[in-house]
Amino acid sequence: MSRLAVERRDGREAIAEGDRLRKEGRFDQALIVYRSAAEGHELVPAHICLKLARTCIDLEDYGEAWRWTLAVVDSGDDFASWQAAAALLARLPVEAMPNSKRSAKLALLSSYTTTQFGPMLELAAAPLGIRFELYQGHYGQYRQEIIDPQSPMYGFGPDFVLLAVHEGDLALPDLSQDPDRDIQAELQRWTSLWRTVSQRTAARVVQYNFALPPETPMGHLGSRLPGSRYAMTRRLNSRLGEEAAGRVSFIDAELISSLFGKNRWFDPRFWFLGKYAVAPEAHPLLARHTAAVIAADLGLSRKCLVLDLDNTLWGGVIGEDGLAGIKLGDGVEGEAYVALQEYIRKLKNKGIILAVCSKNNPADAREPFEKHPEMRIKLDDIAVFAANWRPKPENIREIAEKLNIGLDSLVLLDDNPVEREAVRQFLPEVDVISLPADPSRYVRALAEYLMFETTSFTVEDAQRADQYRARAQIADLESSAESIEDFHRSLKMRAIVRPFDELNLPRIAQLIGKTNQFNLTTRRHGAEKLREFMADPDCVHLYLRLRDRFADHGLVSVAIARREGEVLDIDTWLMSCRVIGRTVEAQMLHHLCVEALRLGCSLLRGTYVPTAKNAMVGDVYGRYGFEAIEDRDKTTVWQYNITARGVIENGFIDLVDRWEENDDGSGTS
Amino acid sequence: MTVQERLEEIFRGVLNREDIALTDETTAADVPGWDSVAQINLMVSIEQSFGVQFTGNQLAEFRNVGELRRFLEGRAGV
Repeated sequence: MSRLAVERRDGREAIAEGDRLRKEGRFDQALIVYRSAAEGHELVPAHICLKLARTCIDLEDYGEAWRWTLAVVDSGDDFASWQAAAALLARLPVEAMPNSKRSAKLALLSSYTTTQFGPMLELAAAPLGIRFELYQGHYGQYRQEIIDPQSPMYGFGPDFVLLAVHEGDLALPDLSQDPDRDIQAELQRWTSLWRTVSQRTAARVVQYNFALPPETPMGHLGSRLPGSRYAMTRRLNSRLGEEAAGRVSFIDAELISSLFGKNRWFDPRFWFLGKYAVAPEAHPLLARHTAAVIAADLGLSRKCLVLDLDNTLWGGVIGEDGLAGIKLGDGVEGEAYVALQEYIRKLKNKGIILAVCSKNNPADAREPFEKHPEMRIKLDDIAVFAANWRPKPENIREIAEKLNIGLDSLVLLDDNPVEREAVRQFLPEVDVISLPADPSRYVRALAEYLMFETTSFTVEDAQRADQYRARAQIADLESSAESIEDFHRSLKMRAIVRPFDELNLPRIAQLIGKTNQFNLTTRRHGAEKLREFMADPDCVHLYLRLRDRFADHGLVSVAIARREGEVLDIDTWLMSCRVIGRTVEAQMLHHLCVEALRLGCSLLRGTYVPTAKNAMVGDVYGRYGFEAIEDRDKTTVWQYNITARGVIENGFIDLVDRWEENDDGSGTS
Repeated sequence: MTVQERLEEIFRGVLNREDIALTDETTAADVPGWDSVAQINLMVSIEQSFGVQFTGNQLAEFRNVGELRRFLEGRAGV
């Protein structure tokens, strides 16, 4: 008998034994037996997770019950298990939820039945650190809910409004005489719903695009005929995508339905039976994607991919097989590793930081990067390169420190299940991708990991990976500089400081949406609110762009302040953590002082509202000579008398109106 | 496990109740929580577990355990 068969039989027997113990009320013993059945699985099968979760509830160990319930999400996309886990979720006390980062009110409005989908969305979001409070509208009522200002949806006060709509709800004829007009009418209908929601609430709209059904009466002609419903729906999807741009999160349900398989996604039985436009079986996958997009909106996406080398980026072991012996470029496996590297480079180009964590001699690990002609990833692409023989969790912790990002921004890609397990166990904040044994499937496995989702794409995103690399270089420079002042001077920093403008608004909103650490008040103003500030003559709104001799850091700091008599009150002040310790904060305070005087204010007032992440700025006002004038519920209010103490100055950053043409921020100037 | 036992396991999971015991005579009316939503959850779970496909009508009309069991025994060859 094979080893696998033995394990399976033992697993089954253990489960039967556990069931018997649990029935007798011997929960402690049942738990031990179920745990033994879970052992040896990298991802524990859903049915075992569920049994463990239920037994933990019996024992009132809710932390563990949460953990096992959420483990179902990792186990796969099976409807029955997700449905059972979602039902268990309702029995778990919210305060015991592990790793809870954000809570958000979500209104689910739909053109079809979403009774089971809502709880599954809660389930999919929980492992990402999001606790949803859910409002479910009646199916088919989405228009009324949005149009009627008295609707219960508005009373609920949502942070997100999810429009779960389907192709059958489109008012498009099978064959149109005037496709432009018909598409325009639908476009207007949807965008005006979006507008109504943003006028009445601060909620972000999330909408599915329209999955195209498998039945196409026009056949292949449909795609050539602009007036066919098929062609019009496709155009509507792309037009809506353009309209959505940065303000609405548009989820590609058309893509997800293809991934799932349209013949199963569109299951007519469930439509006829209960108006399910998406088959129940497809709910888990749709929930997973939806949760990932909303997580990105909440700034919870992951920033950095940590790469193993041997048997991950190339086949074989460089230290043993040597440069000529590793598999890269030739043959099936060699091609697969090249494809993976190319995919990883694309992630880097959209702003994902790359790091290396490998058990190797440093010189061996670098050799392929320096000499192998088929390497697609270059040393320049890697922000932090850790090759040594220390345990990976230690190295990964250091990588996070060097990049000054949280462990919960990291994702590990490693072919070795033992290393993956070590990281899961010692650094549970780090996401670990389970790579399959066959390198041909590596790219797919990485693509199926959804937390590299981004809400918008700005020039800053494209440059981010290089900036982080530059910062890691600066960390080296820092240790060689004689004094911190010398160090700051040696950076040759230049900044542009301007009031907000439409062009920079997406990046400003993005920064406001995701900055956690250097953020004094953590007020998440959306683009609409920012436009209100821009229109208000009593408002000061500034952004700062920074370059130094290593890199163009882009737009890294934002401040919003409002005049109240002779006081200029700072509503929002934040800074990207990648430029912390570079005197940018002094530069911003300088401009706030200058603006205050311009508006006739002699006092600058700032508030610090503590969160789980922003302790680092608890004393920032104090450091620059502000006096604490109020301390209530841990929130502190600070005041700076500009007339008495003078304008705050910073001598380390040169202010410029625009970048010089030959100044590319690369340090060659 | 017999078909009956497998069904019992599925019902307990879907309805989140450990005390469910099924007989051939059990109908939807006898089981608290076996409503139209639970019906869908049960049918999808049974399809997955037994590898069968119900007709649209069966999805709606299998509201008693004996009928379900006989169908599955005939179909699944268990």
